[in-house]
Amino acid sequence: MTAFGLPGPMFWVFVATIVAGSLGALHFLIVHVALGRPVVETLPPALAREGQGAPGTGSAEGGGPE
Amino acid sequence: MSEVNPYYLGAFVTYLVVVLGIGVWAYRRTRSVLDFWVYGQSMGPGLATWSLVANFVSSVSVIGFIGVVYTEGYALMGHTILGLMLGLAALYFVVGYVRPLNVLTFPDLMARVTGIQASRPLAGTILLVSGWLYLVMQLAGASLLVTAITGVPYQQMVWVIAGVFIVYTVLGGLVSVAWTDLLQGVLMVTAVAVALGFMIVDQGGLTSINESLTALDPSRVSPTAGGAYTLLGISASFLAFFGTILTEQDMLIRIAATRDVRTAKIHVAAAGVILSVLYTLLVLLGGATTVALVGAGIELPVEGGRLIADAAFPALITQYVPTGVGVVIILAVMSAILSTTDTRLHAVGMTVARDLYSWLRPDATERRLMRVSRASTIVLGLTAAAVAVDPPGTIYDLYAFRAVIITSAFFIPVYAAVFWTAIDGRAVFGAVAGGGVMGLIAHAAGGALGAVPSTFVGVGTATLLLLAFHAAFRRIGGTPADPR
Repeated sequence: MTAFGLPGPMFWVFVATIVAGSLGALHFLIVHVALGRPVVETLPPALAREGQGAPGTGSAEGGGPE
Repeated sequence: MSEVNPYYLGAFVTYLVVVLGIGVWAYRRTRSVLDFWVYGQSMGPGLATWSLVANFVSSVSVIGFIGVVYTEGYALMGHTILGLMLGLAALYFVVGYVRPLNVLTFPDLMARVTGIQASRPLAGTILLVSGWLYLVMQLAGASLLVTAITGVPYQQMVWVIAGVFIVYTVLGGLVSVAWTDLLQGVLMVTAVAVALGFMIVDQGGLTSINESLTALDPSRVSPTAGGAYTLLGISASFLAFFGTILTEQDMLIRIAATRDVRTAKIHVAAAGVILSVLYTLLVLLGGATTVALVGAGIELPVEGGRLIADAAFPALITQYVPTGVGVVIILAVMSAILSTTDTRLHAVGMTVARDLYSWLRPDATERRLMRVSRASTIVLGLTAAAVAVDPPGTIYDLYAFRAVIITSAFFIPVYAAVFWTAIDGRAVFGAVAGGGVMGLIAHAAGGALGAVPSTFVGVGTATLLLLAFHAAFRRIGGTPADPR
């Protein structure tokens, strides 16, 4: 089988690449647009860590060299 | 190549004047160090998307990838580009967990998930080397191309390009970079489509191009390049490029620059669609370039017995297409290359100021951090230009080298820690160091240790060390915040 002059395996690699790049968009359109679920702006409690908040311009959590 | 083409030179000069103008405008909008570093964390989805697209497509993508297609055909699509696109998809799914942490850089992320501040200089140093190498590649690629198309000597062109980009990046930081990216991204996508359209018509259709490529050598349309790549080798390359998307400093900086999680997700998702299509067009353009050059009897230069494959696309522009089409292609290529150059320049300057200097001087004032950012941008830009005058290896070689190192070091340990909050930070710290060193050793030993490719050596070492250190530190006790 050939498509656009390409052998089947090579053609499917091209298709897979476009699908791979579009996975995020497909998810966003289905979950957040079609199903209307809001985007969660915070971490789930199980993954939350101390020290969240607006980043300062100094060190990440106020500490320097240990 | 010594004749100056006035149309190409004119397009190049106009381009530089426009981006310098944007730099001056951005300077007036940059009021704080957060503006300079991360656009004041207020970037909207449109600007963020095009900034990501423009940054993603680089001299490697244009000059390097077309050179690779010229020598080995479309196998690149599987072992590199598919990995990059899956990496973008993975980034989309983790960005909702990274953006709420509100970190500015990748070392910030590592420090946050490990609780160890020394993570910042460790990760910062690795990323600084990686980012600086990338900058060398960009300058070499940009200068190679612009020299080929304008006739200005390469050694001079490196300094001209570096000078312009240092000036406008120093002026406006990410504000300059993002707005020039918007211009460059739109130009690039449009011009690549136009260029491929021209080549398809010129070569009698896409099917004809692929059939001609097959007739040259059937291995050029094989996912394994006719057996030149083993499944193990393809998997290793795939993993290396997949990992870079999640560990590149500039990706984290751009995520930090978006105004919220929703914007962060939209910009990665939209960029994924644009980039997957754009890369498909670029690889097909590489096939068309190969067929056109071979058909026209245009040979690429050979230096020291080695074919200079990176010269394929410049040869197409200067020796094959008419000047009008050449100007369009040049705009695309310059946009691709230079948008990545400014982003990397900004990222290395920020790495020095944010991840190294502010770690050493946590009480540094905002004014001081801004000055350090600007000064380091200038110094690192100038040193990269000096090395780019005589670059060590082809563009693609350098690209692969840094992909192996940063993926080996960071990919598994840091993202494991994002989702596994109970993991011991010291284990993450040790795994990053061990994985990076082993990836470097394996790559230096010819790209593999025995039959195991360098990426697998590095990522495997990091994974094993992560688990071993975690078990050991749990027995020893203590806390990550007190590693002594």
